[in-house]
Amino acid sequence: MIAYKFLRADGSSVFTSFDWPLPASGPGAWVEAPADPCRSGIHACRVADLPYWAGRTLYEIELGGELIEQPTKLIGTRGRLVRRVAAWDEQRDAYTRMCADRAHELVGAAPPEFSHWDSVVEPSIPEGPALLGFVAARIAEEIAGSADAYHAERKRQAGWLAKRLGLSIVA
Amino acid sequence: MGEHITCQEVVELVTDYLERALPSDEATLFEQHLNFCDGCVVYVEQMRSTVVNVGRVREEDVPPEAKDRLMAAFREWRRT
Repeated sequence: MIAYKFLRADGSSVFTSFDWPLPASGPGAWVEAPADPCRSGIHACRVADLPYWAGRTLYEIELGGELIEQPTKLIGTRGRLVRRVAAWDEQRDAYTRMCADRAHELVGAAPPEFSHWDSVVEPSIPEGPALLGFVAARIAEEIAGSADAYHAERKRQAGWLAKRLGLSIVA
Repeated sequence: MGEHITCQEVVELVTDYLERALPSDEATLFEQHLNFCDGCVVYVEQMRSTVVNVGRVREEDVPPEAKDRLMAAFREWRRT
């Protein structure tokens, strides 16, 4: 199946520093590892998972072999990078801004006791899209008093990404 | 464990994370936190480096005076 994977700017894995074979004229080489969530295997995202893992570069990845599905990620025993999602490079700052604007909007519509949250938004922008996505979702959760609001905001972010990156939310 | 973890919880869980002893759902939340918190990334890397370097030290490598001071410090720590 086709999924997505965020990597560092140099193509290495965020948590293991593994240097992925990058696609060039065709897909990168297959990488294989036993699937053991958070310990071993090829970890990747569905479109709905992207906001939880937003990073520097985004690749489309083909997963094969045994597949484990978890709430915010997939783990396969085989994977190869198919292509870089160049639209993410173009939309990364816009996504960050969208999350910041959404955070302001949520605070602005909330009772006054939540107004202090507004002050954390703009200073967080230099930290990038992952933090701003989290900030917006946390503000939604705090205002609603429910984790459902946190995940609803994440779902909203995924919808924005699907549209702007030209991805299918069901992938 | 809720929908996300705090920096304080990263501090509490870091040893289990580095030893790969965290349950998958907690490790996922741990890594989601690292994904946006550069301060915790630095902390975890420092801890990882400490574990690697301290792991090379054998008990017999520690001079007796240093061992006594460490043991005294641990006893004091347990009382506080």
